[in-house]
Amino acid sequence: MTLGVAPKARIRRDSHTQRPHLPWALDVAAGLARGAATVDEVSARAELEARLPAFRDALLGSPYYVRVLRESGLHPGDLRRLEDLRHFPALDRATLARHWEDVPTLPAASDECVVVKSSGTTGDPVNVLRDRRDCLLMWAVLRFFTERTNTVPPPRPRVVLLDALPGGLEYSVRLPLFHDGALHRVSVLRDDTVARLRRVKASVVFSDPEGLRWLLAHPEVPSPQLVLTSAQHLPGTLRDAWRQERGVPVLNYYAATETGPLAWECLEDANRGRFHVLTPDVWLEPEGDEVVVTRLRPSVLPLLRYRPGDTGTVRRDACACGFHGWTLTGFGGRGACAFHTPQGRTVDAWSLAWVFKHHPLRAFRLTQVTRERFTLELSGAPPESVAALCERLTAALCNLGWAAPVVDARGVEALASAAKPLPFRCELALPS
Amino acid sequence: MAVSIPHLREQLAATPIVSPYPHDLAVAIVCDTFRLASQRPPSQAEWAKLEQRMKNPLFQEQVGMLAHVLVSSDLRKKTVLYLTADRTPQARLQQFFEEVHPLTAEMVRSNAFRQEEFLRKWLSALGADIEGETEAESKRHLKELDYRQAVTDLRKVEEARKKEADRRQEMLQEAARKDAEARGWRE
Repeated sequence: MTLGVAPKARIRRDSHTQRPHLPWALDVAAGLARGAATVDEVSARAELEARLPAFRDALLGSPYYVRVLRESGLHPGDLRRLEDLRHFPALDRATLARHWEDVPTLPAASDECVVVKSSGTTGDPVNVLRDRRDCLLMWAVLRFFTERTNTVPPPRPRVVLLDALPGGLEYSVRLPLFHDGALHRVSVLRDDTVARLRRVKASVVFSDPEGLRWLLAHPEVPSPQLVLTSAQHLPGTLRDAWRQERGVPVLNYYAATETGPLAWECLEDANRGRFHVLTPDVWLEPEGDEVVVTRLRPSVLPLLRYRPGDTGTVRRDACACGFHGWTLTGFGGRGACAFHTPQGRTVDAWSLAWVFKHHPLRAFRLTQVTRERFTLELSGAPPESVAALCERLTAALCNLGWAAPVVDARGVEALASAAKPLPFRCELALPS
Repeated sequence: MAVSIPHLREQLAATPIVSPYPHDLAVAIVCDTFRLASQRPPSQAEWAKLEQRMKNPLFQEQVGMLAHVLVSSDLRKKTVLYLTADRTPQARLQQFFEEVHPLTAEMVRSNAFRQEEFLRKWLSALGADIEGETEAESKRHLKELDYRQAVTDLRKVEEARKKEADRRQEMLQEAARKDAEARGWRE
């Protein structure tokens, strides 16, 4: 097995430094709980609008926004109500990628900023500046999600990131922000995965559908109390199987590297495909047919009307699950795509997206043409990077179960550009 | 009698300006408005003097937009009601054009905030009441919308940020220099 195809990752070990952020994390979780329970729309909007003054200050600190607003005859003071947002210019992914150094405010040393790359699922990764709280936010949101699902974690709970990606990256760190717990990243590709998971006894597992299928097929691994995934195409059968076979809820959330978590899919069976927005941290503009995000949570990276490239419509909602707030429906982003191994196993093609993360590609499309053969179309990729990319892709396919995959790479002038491109395709004619 | 800003904006949205008003026509529309209130409008020479005093290249397009908002909405009718004899037309016009100094016709046409600011500044020059607002609230709104002040603030913020970025750059260079010196000594 060829592991080690993952890009290098720097793991922060000084987890004790999370501790001073605990009151903030509790406050975030409490704010989200209030946001999901505010029946009166006027009160909910007032809560959101109370965050606008700090957001205006952040805009003033961003060289990109100062320039763009001045060019548009606007200034941050014009933003007084949520309705005012529609008069402001939007920021798309490609523009953020070009101006990623100018959009953030000037960080202080105490912000402990890092630059991370978005997953590159559009073939165009974005550098994103994150402050410490941006990096820690998911643990605050996890507190909210556990409360929402009535999950009561044991003392010092273990959280597992179950990794079905071809990289094989693993690590373990303490997690003071989540009930003094610990975080273990475990790859399903290792030989001792089951033994490690039995030792760890995770309370919470994050994974993609591929990892969730793997875990479901290993009943010898103790069941977690809660499973989370941020797959945009979580098969309903997989969610049902987890509930019926293990009695565990699967919480599917919508997040982007640039924005952080935005919404979660309703857990009621009748409301599948309805994503409840995580107000008041983010505001998703209602009534349009595209996701437009304004992040109202303080961050070194102010995001005003950011368009991640996903489609969907947001409306005020009183849901049967007890949620009151804004709900995203008709959500579409990445197109689901399954590749098929020579043995007949189905693999989520998106698990290969990671391979493209650190490559200077403007666009790509990987098509499975036969069981063993793939075509990789590249637009604007430097010729010297192609051989290395094909090598990594082949190694990744081997990790996922292909014995001798063949990748034919070819340059193309341009690939069709949708709101988000569909970079994975399968042309196999499969028996029904 | 109070003026409704949303109503005026609705009317303006329904009557978009298709081409700029010739300056003479715009001046005539503004003058006629004063005449409707039985006030003597500024003469041609007084307009020229006003333009000279403003020293603003945007003056003529601002006069054009004032004419447009007057004839395309209820604003003219409301203006006539508020044109009292306690101030001369020249004084009102001077106050208005001083306050709208950086607003271009394009901003007033296409930018909701600048259009509201333009309308509010005209109403302020008239001393008109705004529907649903106390005098203090109207003043606060006008201050929030003030683009002239905002441009000054944005410039200050940009300068401060640049200064801070330069200071940090200098600190980095200084640290690098000290590091290089220390390395040289150790070697």
